[in-house]
Amino acid sequence: MPQLLTNKRLILLLLGVILLVALISFSLRDRDNVSLPEQIIKDAVGAGQSVFSRPAHFVTGIFDNVDSLLNTFEENQHLKTRLEEFAGVQAEVKDLRSENEELKKIVGKEEDLRDFNPIQATVIARNPDQWEEKLILNRGANQGVKPNMAVMTASGLIGKVTLTTPTTSTVELISTLNPNYRVSAMVVGGEKDVYGLIEGYDAERHELLLKRIDANIELKKGDQVISSGLGGIFPKGVLIGTITEVTIDEFGLTKLAYVKPAADFSLLNHVIIADRLMPEVDGEDNGVTGDDES
Amino acid sequence: MIRFLIPLICLVLFFMEPVFGLFSPLNIGGELNYIVPRFLIMFLIFLTLYYDLKHAMFYGLFFGLLYDVFYIDIIGLYSFLYPAICLAAAAAFKKIPRNLLTATLLTLFLLALFEFLLYQFFLLISFTGMPLGTFITTRLWPTMIANSIFLVMLGWIFKSVMVTQLSERDNKIGLY
Repeated sequence: MPQLLTNKRLILLLLGVILLVALISFSLRDRDNVSLPEQIIKDAVGAGQSVFSRPAHFVTGIFDNVDSLLNTFEENQHLKTRLEEFAGVQAEVKDLRSENEELKKIVGKEEDLRDFNPIQATVIARNPDQWEEKLILNRGANQGVKPNMAVMTASGLIGKVTLTTPTTSTVELISTLNPNYRVSAMVVGGEKDVYGLIEGYDAERHELLLKRIDANIELKKGDQVISSGLGGIFPKGVLIGTITEVTIDEFGLTKLAYVKPAADFSLLNHVIIADRLMPEVDGEDNGVTGDDES
Repeated sequence: MIRFLIPLICLVLFFMEPVFGLFSPLNIGGELNYIVPRFLIMFLIFLTLYYDLKHAMFYGLFFGLLYDVFYIDIIGLYSFLYPAICLAAAAAFKKIPRNLLTATLLTLFLLALFEFLLYQFFLLISFTGMPLGTFITTRLWPTMIANSIFLVMLGWIFKSVMVTQLSERDNKIGLY
């Protein structure tokens, strides 16, 4: 066998490196739309992947069931204490809901930022090298999924759709380090609703950063943060998390709050994509296309 | 044996990786541990050592491209690194004694190198701000431990599959 790195091979290797750099810079620059060959590959691999992910979800389902069985006693105790409280709250919610509907009828307002059309999806893969926090779902443009839609689980917001192909879609999780990733949010629990932007993630604390809050506004630990719907794409009222700490931001002009996410980002199986009923506009949630303010 | 056994194994391992990736990050004692399944590259290194380099590099290129397009959206990263690691494996294996133990150790060493290169790349394009110490304790170690368990369990099967495939191929050449 000849020597491993002969001249010919060296030239090939160099050409390979040049091609690599060119391809990487091409794909880093042009990340918000998918070319046709990429779409075909994504759909084909996605079809194969969903075959493999089904038994995996079955197995994780069993583990989850065993896990919940082990905690049954403690949970039961806890729930019993909450039960009475719950009955009261439920009656109140019912009352408020009907009142809200009546009031809406009186004002003549039919659409609400809160209303959305849920698209159920299954996670078929998670980016296996977990450098970028990404999920791949088995619903795509054919089912009406569009880029920038909010993705959530029953417990709260987890991310937004970044890319779609006809049968798959890619979700960037909210715990990303991408600086262009913003969600317009509001804090409820105080006397007035406080608006801010979820911008960035503290990887050491595993908490989100809620920025651009007016410095005069007092925020409390434990307040809930929900999406405000004012960013243009997300529906209103999706739970994001609870505030754990309030500090002043690095410039000392506005406040910054650490938000503990409500949803658990590991072991995601089934998610809901929120297709908002109100018309969508370009806004702050829409970090990928045409966002000039920094 | 079946002719397409090796590509079939590659395909299965390729699809298995993200499935196992769903279990990560593992929360052990309040610390998140990232476990990255790297079945395919370990199989490709074994393929280089016990079958031949050309096939391994070709499969590396093909599956690397699929990986890039489907998961990473940066085309050219894995499709370069997979064949490059195979090439390094072939170069290194000439200088050391050939047996299953050295093959396993070499594979694990190359895997660590592979992870480190990827870390450097993502640091370079600022997809991550993870300091080196955190990378080693929360990513490299858990990944290496999990993958070495996989390799110790299945390494000898890989080897026997390749050896039988190789001898079959040689027999066929002898026939004509």
